[in-house]
Amino acid sequence: MRPYVSITQATALEVLSSPLSLLVLLAALAMEVFAPVFHYHQFGDATRMARDAAISALFTCGAVFAVFGAIRSVRREIETGTMEMALAHPVSRSGFFLAKAAGVAVSFTVFAVAVIGIALTMFAGAAVGGAIAEETAQLARVYGPCVAAGVAAMVLPLVLAAALNRFFRFRFTLTAFLLATAIAAVAGVSSMFLAGGDAMRLVPAAVLAIAPAYVLAAAATAFAVRFRANAAAALSGVALVLMLPAADNYYRAEALARGGTVPPAYVALALAAAVPAVVGFLLIGIHFSRNRE
Amino acid sequence: MNMEAENVVSLANVSKTFRDFWLRPTVAAVDSLSLAVRRGEVFGLLGPNGSGKSTTIKMILGLLSPSVGEVRLFGLSPRSVAARRRLGYLPELSFLHPFLTAAETIGYYAGLCGLTRREASRRTRELLAMVGLESVAKRPVGEFSKGMARRVALASALVGRPELLVLDEPTSGLDPISTKEVKTLVKALAQGGMTVLTTSHLLADAEDICDRVMILNHGKAVAEGEVSSLGTSLEEFFLAKVGSVQDFALAPFLR
Repeated sequence: MRPYVSITQATALEVLSSPLSLLVLLAALAMEVFAPVFHYHQFGDATRMARDAAISALFTCGAVFAVFGAIRSVRREIETGTMEMALAHPVSRSGFFLAKAAGVAVSFTVFAVAVIGIALTMFAGAAVGGAIAEETAQLARVYGPCVAAGVAAMVLPLVLAAALNRFFRFRFTLTAFLLATAIAAVAGVSSMFLAGGDAMRLVPAAVLAIAPAYVLAAAATAFAVRFRANAAAALSGVALVLMLPAADNYYRAEALARGGTVPPAYVALALAAAVPAVVGFLLIGIHFSRNRE
Repeated sequence: MNMEAENVVSLANVSKTFRDFWLRPTVAAVDSLSLAVRRGEVFGLLGPNGSGKSTTIKMILGLLSPSVGEVRLFGLSPRSVAARRRLGYLPELSFLHPFLTAAETIGYYAGLCGLTRREASRRTRELLAMVGLESVAKRPVGEFSKGMARRVALASALVGRPELLVLDEPTSGLDPISTKEVKTLVKALAQGGMTVLTTSHLLADAEDICDRVMILNHGKAVAEGEVSSLGTSLEEFFLAKVGSVQDFALAPFLR
């Protein structure tokens, strides 16, 4: 098992150390924090805006993160010869592929934790702030700290990572990514004190956005073994388009805006559809890696 | 004595033809090659560019499958994990993860060899000291010179204490002092009982370290023999078998 753990760790490290990954994370956080800001005072639909921005950021940026993280990692292994080096060790081809896919999944999970943390914060701020605003017109008192937490999750990691890189030679992008995730996770947990359990209503909807990203990650990892980066990205795009008809059901998240939640049975159904898709793409990837020369 | 057990590597009438997307044959890289590498010897695979050395090495490592014939590594299929557990490989170019430090790189390959974290850590320190890179252990290998990267790759090849060390152009990119150190190291490893299979363009290097050589040209074995019994320099022997110096230089273009 140890060889495969090493490959998974190295893959997660590579994806999280990539400047592109950090940029995608910062873009997702910016979408979550700033997209709803200007609407809060105008439409009186704050929780809906916060929820839509969070789910959109998770779905779009998550898809980009998963697909490009997987393709870059696998293609680099193939094109620079490190896969050859690994396969000259006591590692099976299918095991190598599955360990790579696991590494991509681990790195995407870290990304998702960061995005959901800030989503919970903004959702709680909108829910509580909206209620206060109706009574006292002092939305900024509650919403302000939530925006501050979101901005801190974007700016503070960059400053700290730069300092740690300057004085202790820490990896800049990896450190910034992990610090952003830690700050977002703390902010997300803290938001529960602000909004009680109300913010947690977002989680089932977030699961609906995360599930297709895992499917795309598996698809991109499999395609990257057989095809060059552009072709693998195009095929992953096709996989995304094929999944989109199912995405209209995400409008079930509408229930959130009315104070309800996504039914657990529906979340279970979405996961039941995602798991066979992930397994199917992994089997395709195993087939490609066994026959690769 | 059982010769099969004595042979660490054996190829029997192996051919390898590469094919394009439509499965049309494009290049016959290796043609009816048979060879045996005996336990404890340093075996050199020599030949001009495009002679099939790297393809042969890749078939021995299980990275390529032969089109015809059979390759055995420790009596097993080269694709078997059990066979590759006893193998160390230094490729022609130092294939390393640029985002890992020197210590992490050796630790990574220690992990691939199945060493525990503690063993991996101890072995990494030993090997960094052996290749003289202790002072830069925490620098990413992406920042290393070609020679330093070569040393990290060599340490990575040795991390699992292999019985067979496969070296593809081991002195490629090294300065004369480092080249001498590598040759001394290979001799010491061979004296310690390790079997070494090496390729080289540098005949003087091969002459210094190899017990036995095989010369390949156009994918075929054109000569094989003990270095000590050639009765001439390896360079003269090589040129007599491959052709003129011009043929050697032009060989890849004349095919």
